[in-house]
Amino acid sequence: MAKWIFYSSKLIANCIKSTSIASNAITVGLLSPQALSLQSTRNTSFYIKRPAAQLWKSVTSVSNAGRRRGRGKGLVKARDLNQGQKIGHGKVGMLFPGLTTSVIQGEYPVQQRRLTQQEQENNSPKIQPLIKPKRFKLHPLKRGWSGGQPGGRTIGPPDSVDGDAFNGFESWILYAKPISVMTSTMGRSKRVRSMVITGNRKGLAGFAVVTGREFKPAVNLAKNRAGLRLMYIERYNDHTVLHDFFSQFGKTKVFVKQKQKGYGLKCHRVIRTCCEAIGIKDLHVKVEGSDNILTIVKAFFIGLLQQKTFEEMANEKKLHLVEMRKENNYFPTVLASPPVVRTSKEIPKNEILDFKQYVMNGKVALEKRKRDSPFSKLPSWQFHLRKQERLRNQDDVVIKLRAEYDDVCSFHVEKYPEARAPKWSKHGKKKEEEEVET
Amino acid sequence: MYRRINLLLMDFYKRPTWNCRLCSTAPRATDERDPRPFFFDQHVQKLLKTLTRVDYEKIFATRRDETPLKLPEFKFMTDEELAEAREEIGKKANRRIQMPPVVKIRSKEPKVLVKEPELQGYEETNLVFTDISFGKSNRNRIIVVRETNGTLRHANSNERHRMNQIYFPITGREMHTPRMFCNPYLKDLLEQGKFEFVLDRACLQFEPDDPEYHRVTKQVYSYVNKLRKFDALRSTRHFGPLVFQLAWENNIDSLLLELIESENMEEAGKLVRLYHKVQPDAKSRQETTENDLQLVKLYVELDSPDRYMLSGVIPKYEEMYKEKERLKRGIMKAHGLIDDEQEVQDQNEKSKT
Repeated sequence: MAKWIFYSSKLIANCIKSTSIASNAITVGLLSPQALSLQSTRNTSFYIKRPAAQLWKSVTSVSNAGRRRGRGKGLVKARDLNQGQKIGHGKVGMLFPGLTTSVIQGEYPVQQRRLTQQEQENNSPKIQPLIKPKRFKLHPLKRGWSGGQPGGRTIGPPDSVDGDAFNGFESWILYAKPISVMTSTMGRSKRVRSMVITGNRKGLAGFAVVTGREFKPAVNLAKNRAGLRLMYIERYNDHTVLHDFFSQFGKTKVFVKQKQKGYGLKCHRVIRTCCEAIGIKDLHVKVEGSDNILTIVKAFFIGLLQQKTFEEMANEKKLHLVEMRKENNYFPTVLASPPVVRTSKEIPKNEILDFKQYVMNGKVALEKRKRDSPFSKLPSWQFHLRKQERLRNQDDVVIKLRAEYDDVCSFHVEKYPEARAPKWSKHGKKKEEEEVET
Repeated sequence: MYRRINLLLMDFYKRPTWNCRLCSTAPRATDERDPRPFFFDQHVQKLLKTLTRVDYEKIFATRRDETPLKLPEFKFMTDEELAEAREEIGKKANRRIQMPPVVKIRSKEPKVLVKEPELQGYEETNLVFTDISFGKSNRNRIIVVRETNGTLRHANSNERHRMNQIYFPITGREMHTPRMFCNPYLKDLLEQGKFEFVLDRACLQFEPDDPEYHRVTKQVYSYVNKLRKFDALRSTRHFGPLVFQLAWENNIDSLLLELIESENMEEAGKLVRLYHKVQPDAKSRQETTENDLQLVKLYVELDSPDRYMLSGVIPKYEEMYKEKERLKRGIMKAHGLIDDEQEVQDQNEKSKT
């Protein structure tokens, strides 16, 4: 009896099992015939055959001969590719039994599944993210004159001396370049030469040249030494030089011209930086001869220091020095007067009375004549000029019409609305169309 | 009933002739009088010039009119040359502060020459004939118009302006009145304090007898007077006409107040004298005193429309003046410039007078 019950129950159980398997198989599609898609895979490759160290070495190493020729520059450096990631943990949170968790928890085996968001937040291990080395970026206005060269960069005020701080000062690197010297014992020894100018933009400025072993100390030393060699330079109305002058140092010649407010600094970039440090805002300088930075600066500073003040000029000439400006209708402003003024009879006939000639010591700078453009004689240029002539007042007319009628249109526009210039801008055209629709 | 009265009043207020208060002492007929003989009177011109205060720094100040600056000229000068240059600049200053004339508004009706109805319908538009021969000024050039109905008449002011501007253009003068003289813009400009700019351009754009010129200048003057921004126009050519206009309209009180507060009694006296010249029927005119303070006091008592404001300021000024005098004497005494006896004598003399 018992045997029968056992068989029958087994049979029933088997039957239920087979039906459930069949139903499961149907839903998955195992029982239906399938066309197998074959994909050829190769389970070995160059990267699998070799260990990581060997692979890295092949990329990062250069022969000694190559290194001497400079091939080692810009090579890849070996790094840990596994840094910042852990196997089994990724962007999508998954539970892998045996990898991220134990296979059996309590009595039940753990199923592989997706983690909910909360679980993912709780379970994710703390992995240090891969830190890419940050590129040091300078503000475009602080990058200096050009490229990666240090010339023209600002480096802040000099260090304080005996507790006296350099308030309001700023320093500029004029150059900082590697140089090398041959010595009897050491052979070629490399050094750095730097030139720095510092100034408070109110007339005080100084510069220094320092040669050192390293870049930074050399620049810093030059900056601090420049702070100790300050000179006061007189300016005219705090914006330009006192008068035109010429000066020379070595083979460098400097022709400096006083300019009106708003003219700006039109000169060599080194002199522009010097002017910035001194506080000169309007100036024109032509540098001729050698363009060595040191000699340019020296020539410019010598010229500045040799300027005559207005009192000196008046005393030397024994005449009033008077300034007249066109914008003030040539109102005579006396800049300086001597204690005793000469009369017109006491002035010899051949004396230089013209201010510009007097300031340049009677010399006249030869200025190159500006040549006509090579195309100005071509017939096509004449043709172009003829075509452009009728447009010469167009801009003024447009401004006037806009002021009068708020638009570029004819005075007939009230009577004939089409007497209006077409609107070229996209926005304007759209607006016009909308207006027409409404 | 009330509503009707209100409507009537509203209509009354809206009238353009409504420009003075009820019961005001200002003569109503100011517009009818011709200011030309008063303005061009020699004494009046002199008074106006002294009231303008010739300050070279302001007259020759740099103007921000977008012209690029130029390099200054430097010159070595002897004493004589410097004096000559200064004399020259004095002449230039006089030319710069020459006042634009204050004259009556011109009549609108153009003079009709001939009426010839037989020419009626000959032309569809008016014909304008302009005498462009050499040597005629813009004011006395003959410009006539033949109308479509056959009338031949002199051109009206608008037509004259157009014709003159076509044949003899003045740089900077526009054919149409610039928008800045119309009100949202004019008000903005006044709020920005650009009085001189507005007045300069008005002088350029209009003739002095143009009604538009009168409208613009009067608006600027009243604004300046209301806010007492007299310093903005001092040492410019517009200060004289401003003072003249104020005296003409019997409205010099705030200017007088400003002068007294800045302790400029001499100018205050000159202002009152100017007032007497311009307003012949002023009550204080009969009293003749040389003392400026007395003159101002008399004006305040007899003629001032705003007596209370001014009568408060004068005692303050007197007190201040006395204090200053005492301080001055004290300093002189401390320096040993005056003896005590002399002081006593002086005081006695003073008390006698």
